[in-house]
Amino acid sequence: MTKTAIVTGAAGGIGSAICKRLAGEGWTLIAVDASPRLADTVSILEEAEATVRPVEANLTTDEGLDMVGSAIEGAPPLELIVNNAGITRDARLVNMTEDEFAAVIDVNLGAPYQIISRFAPMMKEGAIVNISSRAYLGNFGQFNYSMSKGALVGITRAFALTLAPRIRVNAIAPGLIGTEMSMAIPADVRERMVDSIPLGRMGEPEEVADLVVFLARPGYITGEVITVGGGRSLSR
Amino acid sequence: MRAVGIDGDYESNEPGLVFGATGIADDWPSIRSVLLEAFRLTQLAVVAVEPIVYVVSSDDLLGRNGAASAAVAAGLVSAGRTAGIELANVGLPINVIAIDDEIPGDQVKRWVQRMLEADGAQGELIHLGPGHLGKALG
Repeated sequence: MTKTAIVTGAAGGIGSAICKRLAGEGWTLIAVDASPRLADTVSILEEAEATVRPVEANLTTDEGLDMVGSAIEGAPPLELIVNNAGITRDARLVNMTEDEFAAVIDVNLGAPYQIISRFAPMMKEGAIVNISSRAYLGNFGQFNYSMSKGALVGITRAFALTLAPRIRVNAIAPGLIGTEMSMAIPADVRERMVDSIPLGRMGEPEEVADLVVFLARPGYITGEVITVGGGRSLSR
Repeated sequence: MRAVGIDGDYESNEPGLVFGATGIADDWPSIRSVLLEAFRLTQLAVVAVEPIVYVVSSDDLLGRNGAASAAVAAGLVSAGRTAGIELANVGLPINVIAIDDEIPGDQVKRWVQRMLEADGAQGELIHLGPGHLGKALG
């Protein structure tokens, strides 16, 4: 029997890779993104004959959450939620505006919190995977982003307790992954970042997607954070 | 000293921000409101060049008191680490204390005072009580 997965941030590099991997495993996808570029991901998935219900929605609004709810109606059982949508608005703490702070918190934490609160009760069993970031360990110029991703780790632990044993809840903390978000970093800065990664390269979106697929399968892991960072958490 | 969201008498003329948050109502507006307040007060303290200590509950950090309290506690730990990186080069300390429920208020206060002085600790998470041992408080 097929199962349904909600994947947010489906238009981005990691989200798109997650959708492709899950489609390959036979999941019906509710692919959500605020960007019209979601259509690109959807056309790739449809070419691969995946079953996908696209939802172009802003998940910081009740209307956006309602649209996801409508997409679930009539779909196979919901057994996976992947909270992947995320944005950055970087600035040093002293220069960060309240709007920059709130925008990041709303998307990176508010949306996952509300998606889980609203849709996990519909799940008889399954998994939730929250895409945090290695920045939850601290990262210059990202007070808002780091706080949001740390808080996402916090709700991962809390929901792991409250939803057990029905649903396993875990987080992935990617480091520098070769996505549009990373490629927007100035080249010289990016090169220095890569130099500090023991494995000597950026990660690939598919390497995060593989871990999502692993965590989606029945298993004995819940409430954990797994870093996909090439060893960057250890180096200077 | 400005103390917000923490029980006990922290009034003094010493500079510093002590920010605590626990027992958050389990809804998004409540979480958002507390995190926004933490941001505003932290930014004010940094501009005023005042040391900062966040105080959280170890149980909140482990997710034992619901998602809202967990979000705020874990969010403050991460924020403390990031601010710790940014403030290290100006010698302004920011640290986090996680406390077990049974820790007396005067003991918490003494540790807050120590962490405001910091003496080299930066972006650190200090645990008061044994509740974190063998658990996952990353």
